[in-house]
Parts: sequence; C-alpha cells; structure tokens
Amino acid sequence: MNADPADTRYPHLDLGDLIAGAAGQPVGDRAREHLASCEHCQREANRWNLVADGVRGLAAAAPETAQPARPRRAGRRVPAGPWRRALLVAGSAAAALVLLVGVGAATGLVHVRLSGPGTQTALTAVTGCSQIEQADGTLEQVNGGSLVIRTASGQPVTVTTTATRFVSMSGPLLSDITDGASVMVRGSGSDGTIQAAIVTVGQPFSAVNPAGFVPVQGTVADASTAGFTLVTSSGTRIPVTTSGATLVVIPHASPGQLQVGATILAVGHAGPDGTLSATAVAGVAQLRSGPRLRVSVKVKDCSPSSIDEALGAISAEPASAG
Amino acid sequence: MNDPHHDLGAATFTASHDPACDDAELLRRIGQGDEDAMAAFYREHGRVVFAQVLLVTGERVLAEEIVQDTMLAVWRAAGSFRGESSVRSWVIAIARRQTRDRLRGRRLRVVDDAFLADQPGSGPGPEAMALDRAELAEVRAAIRELAAAHREVLGLAFGSGLSLPEVAGVLEIPVGTVKSRLAAARTALNRTLNEKGQNR
Repeated sequence: MNADPADTRYPHLDLGDLIAGAAGQPVGDRAREHLASCEHCQREANRWNLVADGVRGLAAAAPETAQPARPRRAGRRVPAGPWRRALLVAGSAAAALVLLVGVGAATGLVHVRLSGPGTQTALTAVTGCSQIEQADGTLEQVNGGSLVIRTASGQPVTVTTTATRFVSMSGPLLSDITDGASVMVRGSGSDGTIQAAIVTVGQPFSAVNPAGFVPVQGTVADASTAGFTLVTSSGTRIPVTTSGATLVVIPHASPGQLQVGATILAVGHAGPDGTLSATAVAGVAQLRSGPRLRVSVKVKDCSPSSIDEALGAISAEPASAG
Repeated sequence: MNDPHHDLGAATFTASHDPACDDAELLRRIGQGDEDAMAAFYREHGRVVFAQVLLVTGERVLAEEIVQDTMLAVWRAAGSFRGESSVRSWVIAIARRQTRDRLRGRRLRVVDDAFLADQPGSGPGPEAMALDRAELAEVRAAIRELAAAHREVLGLAFGSGLSLPEVAGVLEIPVGTVKSRLAAARTALNRTLNEKGQNR
C-alpha cells in the first residue's frame, strides 16, 4: 500500500499490488479490501488488467508451437533422438492443446473442463495437476456443505465442501441483488443509465473481468425487478437497469446459495466411494449456450488460487458463450 | 474482507501437489538423459517460452530457432540446475540469453539498460485516458509497436506466469527497477494509443 502524493490521507495500492493483481499473482487481504472501496485504485487496476489482457491475448494468438526443425549450426553436439522426439511430441501435444483451450490466454496451462453430454466418468483428472480431480453435472441436492450432483452419464456424485472452500455462483440471479449489497456493474451506458450486462455481488473478483466493459463499483439501493440505483463511494447515484439477460455473478457464495438444477463444476481430491472433497465449486444457474456447453478454462498452475481463479472465470463464461 | 480460501486452500493444495517439485524432477531425469522427460518439459514450458520470445523478437522463424536452442541448452544443462529459482524462470532466463545473443548478432539490443534504468514510472496522467478508452484489440496492436525492451518486461510480467521477483531474476535487475520499467512500458503504451487515437 502506498500513499498518494496528491492526498496522503488515503493510502492507495502500490504498483507492486496492481501489477501482481493484473498478473494473477496473490495479493494481500488489505490490498483486496482497499481495492473494493477505492475507485482510484479500481481505475488503475483496470488499466493494468487491460495491459495484461493485451499481453496474454498476444501470447494466445501466437502459433501453438515452434515447428520441429534440426538445429542448424555446424559442429554442435546434438542429441538428435531426444531432441527431435521432444519437438514432435510437443507438436502433437500442442495440437491437442488448442482443442482444449479454445479461446483465452495461454500461460502455463492445465485445464479444467466443463463439458456437456458425453462425459462418461464421474471424476476426471484435471489435466496437468496430478491428484486433482474434477466432477461436473447438475445439482440435485444441497445438504449443508454436501452437494449431490448427477453427471451427464447419469452417475450421482457427492461433493463435500467446507466453509473455507471457494464457491462461486452465476446466472440470472436478480433476486440476489438486494439493497445494501456491494456490487460491481459492467454494462453499456446511455443517458446516465447503465444497462447491466454483468453484476458481481460481493467483493470484486479479478477472474470476472471480461473485456469490453468498464466496471463501476458501488452499493445497491432501490432494488426492484427492473433494476436498482448504484450508489458510488462518492455518493453519485447511477440508475442501473437489469433484465433476464443480466448475468449475476456471486464469486464468494455459500453452498446454500447454489440452486438445484444448476450446472456444477467441482475440483478437489477424490474421496472414498467416488466422492469428491472439493476445494473449489462453481455453479452456473442457467447455461446460455444450451446443454452442450463446453467451457475450457485456463489455469496458470495447480495452486489453489489458480484453481479458484479458473472456476471464478467460469462464472463469467456464459456471458461470452451465449 | 473475508476471503479465507486463498490461505487455507493453499495448505491443502500444496501439500498434495507441488508443480515446482515436478519440474525439478523432470530436470533431474533430463539430466540423466531421459527423453520422455525432455518431451514432458517441452510440453510444460515450450509454449510459454515461445510466446515470450516471439513477443520480443516479433519474428516467428527466429523465435522458433531460439526456442530450439533454448531447449537444447536445457537438455545439456539440466544437471546443473540448482533450484535457486523456479524452473520456469530458469528456462525463460536461458531463452532470454539466447535471444540476446541472436539479436546482438544483428547489432540490435533486447534491452537498452541505459535508456530504461531511470525511466520514471508515471502515475495516471492525461495519457492514461487513452488506455481508459482503448479496446483490447487496440491494446494488443499497440503492444506490438512498443520497443522490444518494453514488450519483454510486459511479457515476462503478464504472459509468463512469473512473479515480480522472478521477473527481476530473469532480467537481473532489482524488483523496484522491474516496477519502474513496467510503468515506463505502460506510459509508452498510453502514448502509442494516444497517438493512434489522434490519427483516427
């Protein structure tokens, strides 16, 4: 945290925090808290996020792999067998990779995949992360922190969570926008009114940051079925309209907020009797692209924060998938 | 703000899976001549290294050659990896040296330290507004037009999955200098976007 030279009463995020946030690196709780309430830092964070998205977009647009070729310099001792083989195997892997990744950045990849019909097994390995399994299906029951989901192949899977596990929820959940709630609104504006495309309820979450929207942070007032008034920290009141097409994202939901019938993706460790002890759960209340949705999510590594980010990103996927 | 999953979840996950250990094990096997390990290493890191080199050089064929040379260097030097840095930053540092050598041969420089070292990081000024108005596609195009040194630090910070200390290690400069270099890169990006906006 830094002090803004222009106004030392208010500490602001320092450059390291902003860069780390844009890079998807961990930032401290104090920094996150500050970001949630500081418009100045939110603007700065958005600028850095845009720069980071630009870099990642270029990386994703790069050709999938270097073409296999022999080193050219004469006189080099080249282990031709393993060298050629490495390149060829990598080329094959890259070809498979592009099918899995779809769109999105590619920076050290493992994959969490939310698929439609066709999944045959209850638990599947998360590519690139040994010992981490995933399950996806339709939510049938919620018993406290325990979920029962049914996979596309009809198998029931019990997913256990604890209060410390990451749970996200998204969909047309307008009833979750209530007076006093802290929200981040993304949408198009005209005549001083925002037509909300995405409303993030609760603390901001960097994974829910699709390009093309300028987020506005504030508190909900006068909530109704047609919209609400967004009150910014400076007291400005902005009318916001919502509709059935508005995607509501709750990055830090409780299992009890997950709706029966929602599509669930859970990631964690395989437990006894085919259960999954989840470390992260994402719920999508309504898939916009129909039952054959396939969402592939990038994960920087197998760390919990990366897994959380990936599942959080799923919350915003239906907005772009539809 | 209550956000417990990052800390508590970390203990759960890292206890069961540590990619750094996997990478180190891969390097140990490569050092023993394990071809499968070399292939696995390439799958794990090849694309990221290639994307970074391509971002800096802007030339696909050259980037491919540099990545090949980098992987060859990994094959030869895997046994010397001492674990003082992450494997990702180690291999990217190798790629950076390979890139520098190649570009030096063309009388070009990847990083003009004299130019960059004292570039001040700018706070949000009028030029920052260009970034506020920019679309992602415009930002990508503008990044391509930046100096190689700016593209390099942006790629390392945002495209390679490295932390700031790791970026500092690759560039062999202090973390504070990485920050100021990133700020200078963003200022240059703002300027480019601003110029493009004025020309529209």
